Amino acid sequence: MTRKAYNEQGIFNRLVQDTARRWAKTGLLTPEQAESVRQAFPTDFYEPHLFVKVALFLFTCFAVSGVSGVVFLFVSQGASGGSHSWEWRLLLGCMLCGVGTFVLLETLITSNHLYRSGVDNALLYCGLGYAGATLLSFYSLALPNFVDPEILLGRGVLWLYLLPLLVLVVLAAIRYADPVLGAVSFFLYLGIVVTLLLPSALGKALLPFGLMLACALAYQVVQWLTRRPDYLYYRTCVRTVKVLALACFYLAGNYLVVREVNALLLGLPNSVQISFAPLFYLFTVAIPLLYLYLGLRRADRIFLHTGLLALAFSLFTYRFYRSVLPPEWALTLGGAVLIVVAGWAMRYLRPARHGLTAEPADSPGLSILNLESVVMSHVAANTMQAPEPGFQFGGGSSGGGGAEGKY
Amino acid sequence: MTDKILASLRALHLISEEQAAGIATYEREKPFSLYYELRTLLSLGVTLLSTGLGLLIYQNIDTLGHGVIVGLIALVSAAGFGYAYRKRQPFTWQQNPNPSTGADYALLLGCLTLLTLLGYLQYQYNLFGTRYGLLVLLPTVVFFVCAYRFDHRGVLSMAITGLAAWVGVSIAPLSAFTQNDFAVPHLGAVALVLGLGLAAVGLVSEYQDRKKHFGYTYLLLGSNVALLAACTALLSGPYDQGFMPPVLAALLIIGLSAALVWYARRTHSYVFVLLGALYGYVAVTYLMFQVVELIPGLEGLLFFYFPLSTVGVVLLLLNLKKIVASHDEKGL
Repeated sequence: MTRKAYNEQGIFNRLVQDTARRWAKTGLLTPEQAESVRQAFPTDFYEPHLFVKVALFLFTCFAVSGVSGVVFLFVSQGASGGSHSWEWRLLLGCMLCGVGTFVLLETLITSNHLYRSGVDNALLYCGLGYAGATLLSFYSLALPNFVDPEILLGRGVLWLYLLPLLVLVVLAAIRYADPVLGAVSFFLYLGIVVTLLLPSALGKALLPFGLMLACALAYQVVQWLTRRPDYLYYRTCVRTVKVLALACFYLAGNYLVVREVNALLLGLPNSVQISFAPLFYLFTVAIPLLYLYLGLRRADRIFLHTGLLALAFSLFTYRFYRSVLPPEWALTLGGAVLIVVAGWAMRYLRPARHGLTAEPADSPGLSILNLESVVMSHVAANTMQAPEPGFQFGGGSSGGGGAEGKY
Repeated sequence: MTDKILASLRALHLISEEQAAGIATYEREKPFSLYYELRTLLSLGVTLLSTGLGLLIYQNIDTLGHGVIVGLIALVSAAGFGYAYRKRQPFTWQQNPNPSTGADYALLLGCLTLLTLLGYLQYQYNLFGTRYGLLVLLPTVVFFVCAYRFDHRGVLSMAITGLAAWVGVSIAPLSAFTQNDFAVPHLGAVALVLGLGLAAVGLVSEYQDRKKHFGYTYLLLGSNVALLAACTALLSGPYDQGFMPPVLAALLIIGLSAALVWYARRTHSYVFVLLGALYGYVAVTYLMFQVVELIPGLEGLLFFYFPLSTVGVVLLLLNLKKIVASHDEKGL
């Protein structure tokens, strides 16, 4: 059994097909070439229409809960004569359901070539849910009297609960590379950081900085993952975590979030001015602008979109505490400004400037290649059949160094 | 990643060396496209501006007067229709070969503002009095004419919605008088007939090749209206009687669902097979409960019915491509 659940070659072939289609649309490949690429890199993944995916997901969830209802019924009825308490039965039922779901998931992936087709997503999440439930019911059995999570948080040991869950989800993410699992493990990681910081007074004071640091660290880790040769397998997962890390980095330094959470933690009825307020003003203004700058500079859509959303939230933050204009005037003026700016940018960037363009990506106008001459030379090369033994193009490693905004 | 793809394409001699080098240069040097971002910002700006202006007009209605607003809306509507008329194509019974996006949006804008205008006139000046039927019928007729003349499926679905509203409006008062019953049970029957009629129009337009591409809209809206009407009869309790016995409704739903699946197989359409599966499942489940209620001692059956039936639906969906007979390029 390999470490990855889905066929890596199939995922690569899928990317090659998509890329070839894109290049053919731009005019970098002839339609015949794109067709032969499609035949040379086949994929047998079952990828239905989005509606069908959603329906499959829902019905698989229904089916799993129906079947596990029967399982739980048998478990609770079956050994009624025994001395086992209901907690043991719950544990047994969760384990049975979890194991069954994962076995089914693996069988279906190999036999039906599923790849994020709704069925496998639903089975994966249900299976993980049962695994988590198994863990929790094990805890409630192992500890003599199950303690309230809030008390555990106060004593600073809640992370002992979260850590095994994190390990579980990360292991599943390594195998299935699911973006939702990536997001869940990122939030579990943040939760562990919070539970470590919250109990002490110093930790409470440094909570925003600690979270920002944790997000920056997580971003560095996934950025480092993009240099792995099997990055393609984890691409959506890595991108999800990147977006979340950037968003949480911004939110942890946002003035509104810090001020309101501060009031919430101290149990104040109204939020009051926080210490280091100028620093958080600076974060609120500077981080979105930094994201936008980096996004445009590095042609990175993740930074660009997060930056746009963060900028909108910064404006909201400002309006939340200072009412400058009545809302209808703010809407009218803001809309007018947006129209003018977007319209100007569309006109200004019509021939590409500064590496930016308002043309749609991969429009044929952007192609710099004179296809006809290339095809002629290709025909010539084929008729000569010149062997190229030492052809090494980039050594086959992914030297992207980050998302290049290739959608 | 580009390098890896190019290397594997080169390894199979699918592209020449110059082409690979050219593509690599293109990928390295191509500008960063802000097409969708700028377009999103623009439409966001339009939305904000129109909301803000709407609020401003609403707040200053005393100083502006209603006449100005009516005039403004009428102007916008006329401009939309005028632009669509200026860009019109000759009428055919086929799909318009070269549609213009601008004209399509202008027509949609004209139709939507026409609705606003009529509603405003009725609310402010009581233009139609209590003849609500006329109020609904007038835009419906305009929409049908526009949909066929300018070949616009969005306007067609607005027209069909208007037709349904007109039928509802003109039937409801009648039944309130004749039966002295405000629950209007036979509104459901009318909806069923209307839905079946719309579906029939869709089928006819496909067979007669009269605006064949409108068939999808007619069938989708018609089958949904008919099936929803049948479902209300199915779910009506023992106290408020539906327009037909629930068991009959369930059988009708199963029949209609089968027809939808048959149609989906013929036209390779995913939407209709899904609709058929969904409604059919509801009806079969209802019948199942009836059977269990009738025959005592079968309650245990339900424990197996739900897991087995959902597994069945999943299997059906997994093999959908074979059922719809694989036309993956056609999408919906």
